[in-house]
Amino acid sequence: MEATQDPTSNPSGIDDSELELYTIPSHSRWFLWDEIHETERASLKEFFDGTSISRTPKIYKEYRDFIINKYREEPSRRLTFTEVRKSLVGDVSLLNKVFLFLEKWGLINYGAPSSDSGDNSIAEDDEKCKIKIEEGAPNGIRVVAMPNSLKPISVPRNPKDSGNAIASGFKSPPLASFSDVYGDSKRQKQLTCGVCSNKCDSVHYKSTQDDFIICAKCFENGKYGEKRSMDDFKLNEPSEDSGKHEAVWTEAEILLLLESVLKHGDDWELVAQNVQTKTKLDCISKLIELPFGEFMLGSAHKNGHSNSANGVVNSAKQVQSSSSEHQGTSKTEDQIPEHKNETEQNGDVVKESPLKRQRVAGPALSDSSSSLMKQVGLISSMVDPHITAAAADAAVTALCDENLCPREIFDVEEDYASGPSSLNSLNGYSARVLAGEDSDTERSTHSDMHDRSTEKDGIPLTLRIRAAIATSLGAAAARAKLLADQEDREIEHLVATIIEAQTEKLQHKIKHFEELELLMEKEHTEIEELKNSLLTERIDVLKKTFSAGVSRWKDYPSVKS
Amino acid sequence: MKTPTSAFYRTPVKFRIPTADNLVPIRLDIEIDGQRYKDAFTWNPSDPDSEVVMFAKRTVKDLKLPPAFVTQIAQSIQSQLAEFRSYEGQDMYAGEKIVPIKLDLRVNHTLIKDQFLWDLNNFESDPEEFARNFCKDMDIEDPEVGVSVSNYSLILNENIMLYFHVTPAIAFAIREQLYEIAIQSVVSARESRMNKKGRRGFEYTPVSKGGATAVDLVKLFGQKSSVVRKRKEWDVYEPIVDLLSNEEVDALEAKEERNFR
Repeated sequence: MEATQDPTSNPSGIDDSELELYTIPSHSRWFLWDEIHETERASLKEFFDGTSISRTPKIYKEYRDFIINKYREEPSRRLTFTEVRKSLVGDVSLLNKVFLFLEKWGLINYGAPSSDSGDNSIAEDDEKCKIKIEEGAPNGIRVVAMPNSLKPISVPRNPKDSGNAIASGFKSPPLASFSDVYGDSKRQKQLTCGVCSNKCDSVHYKSTQDDFIICAKCFENGKYGEKRSMDDFKLNEPSEDSGKHEAVWTEAEILLLLESVLKHGDDWELVAQNVQTKTKLDCISKLIELPFGEFMLGSAHKNGHSNSANGVVNSAKQVQSSSSEHQGTSKTEDQIPEHKNETEQNGDVVKESPLKRQRVAGPALSDSSSSLMKQVGLISSMVDPHITAAAADAAVTALCDENLCPREIFDVEEDYASGPSSLNSLNGYSARVLAGEDSDTERSTHSDMHDRSTEKDGIPLTLRIRAAIATSLGAAAARAKLLADQEDREIEHLVATIIEAQTEKLQHKIKHFEELELLMEKEHTEIEELKNSLLTERIDVLKKTFSAGVSRWKDYPSVKS
Repeated sequence: MKTPTSAFYRTPVKFRIPTADNLVPIRLDIEIDGQRYKDAFTWNPSDPDSEVVMFAKRTVKDLKLPPAFVTQIAQSIQSQLAEFRSYEGQDMYAGEKIVPIKLDLRVNHTLIKDQFLWDLNNFESDPEEFARNFCKDMDIEDPEVGVSVSNYSLILNENIMLYFHVTPAIAFAIREQLYEIAIQSVVSARESRMNKKGRRGFEYTPVSKGGATAVDLVKLFGQKSSVVRKRKEWDVYEPIVDLLSNEEVDALEAKEERNFR
């Protein structure tokens, strides 16, 4: 039976001596006041599928905490469901389910006298006996924090536990430091041939019956060991079936890999040939796994064969420079030739940058040769400080989302930085760069950065660079948004002008037409008058003829006849 | 929950008793020639109807009732089943609904008063298990009342015979109330449909009679409120179990008898 310090994360932080000790079974060690464990999620799914307002994780936590607290008011007494439900709002069936769950895991009523007698209690006693046996479980299977939990692993009492947990298949996060990855591979056990007891290389044969392993050579020679036949063995090829546990890489091999990647870029066939001991697939996966693999890939891809590779790997500073180049190249492709030269000089990038800038007539943004930090500074200077801050914030959150490692780092950072956080320091940093000292060489920036990194070496340089890049991207996006807005307004204005002109034109036309119409009317009346006068004239003529006494009409038939 | 929860929160639920088993609560209260037979039990509506007559015959035989009871019992069960089936296939309610259930019943010498909430969308709820828990937690050990309780007695003229059915009274009471709520929901759903169609001359009457009104979910489960009740409310929701003396039981039964007549 294990006495557990009840609130491992007691917010009030009372002294240990003041805390009461409660007993929970060792199989319920996952329980934490502040968190909801996977076990709980799996057993009580209805609270976590988000289908109902009456069943949310928050409500579950309230139920759970209340029930457990209620039991702990008097741990020697058996808590009954009927006692609990009067104090909780909610569907009784659901409450019962929570209650039974907690009881099953021994979080309540553990060791409390069973209320009913008879067969039932005997069965329960049996169960308790079993539980006691389980308590002898080795420390190795102690529950550590879930990989995606919000907090860093906090098993305070046994420091070696976390190590154990990692050893037992805890996959290192993708952004692990070099030593993490490397150290992990070193820890993997060596496979030795069971017949010739030599070290097996990556290809070996494994017995299907037990863990007996022989090397490929022995297998080919027919030395299967005692009482074993060829059929017992299965080929184990690391490139396929053990792809997950990645083949063992020595430091020399990694160096070789990096070198050849720089030399050959994307041509993996060549790279693999260069590395010799590893397959193409291994090389790719290894490079991706390396903390700065992406940068390497990017810069190698852009710069092709021109990059010299002397020891890029070892110094984070150099990685930084290469990544800044990468940034630069992606911005302006036409600068590449000069750029390459610089790269070959490697360290000299920095000195030349002011000159380069003068030569580039374009806007400051496309200045490829300025260093990354300067770019960041420039970009962030284009927008309001609070926008930069927001961008940096978003960047850090995104990085944190990516995996656990940076989050922990940033958390730690936050703990002891007296200022508001790493964000601010980052911001302030870029601000300082932009504040000016354009005349200052990049060296000062570098040393500055160096100071910073020594000052708080909690954050790996690569990470900070990534954060900075993300920040700058964010700032650039904000800037772009501003420009777009401006453009928008411009367009609006122009459109308005066009419309105005069009209306004016129309009005003119209408006026013209009106005039025309007037003219037409005038003409019309004139014609009308003319018509009238003609008519009267005609009548006059007729009258005259009548008065003259000559009947035309009479004449007419006579003429005809 | 096994059922696809997200689906049935959107669309209205077809009529059924909102528990794991779709059982119809049946109440019998038959009097022939001064002999009165009262009983309450649940019936599985998917059982063939021939079972009803069998059941009636068996009951009459076991209880040594006059044969006239057989048809009466069978008829009563049949009509109640028919009523249940008339609602089948109709829409009940959509969305979440949690209702308060109130228990106020007497089982022989035991008086039970209780109040709690019931989720109408939880089709895995089990009133029988709830009742068993209740009896266990409240220490109701009286063998007559215990786990298998029935609050309905068979009164044969002068000599009182007690007949206990398997269905616990508590579970039966819960089922009965759920049944009533389900019927009300069907009716109100039908009415609101009619109203939507704009039929004239249809007076809309709120169907929330008695305690069937659903609780305000947002108020109870919203972000601001806590699901832990205030201490002064605990008494309201606390189950009360009273043991009555023989005289009290007699008095109550006499009163019930008077009300019946």
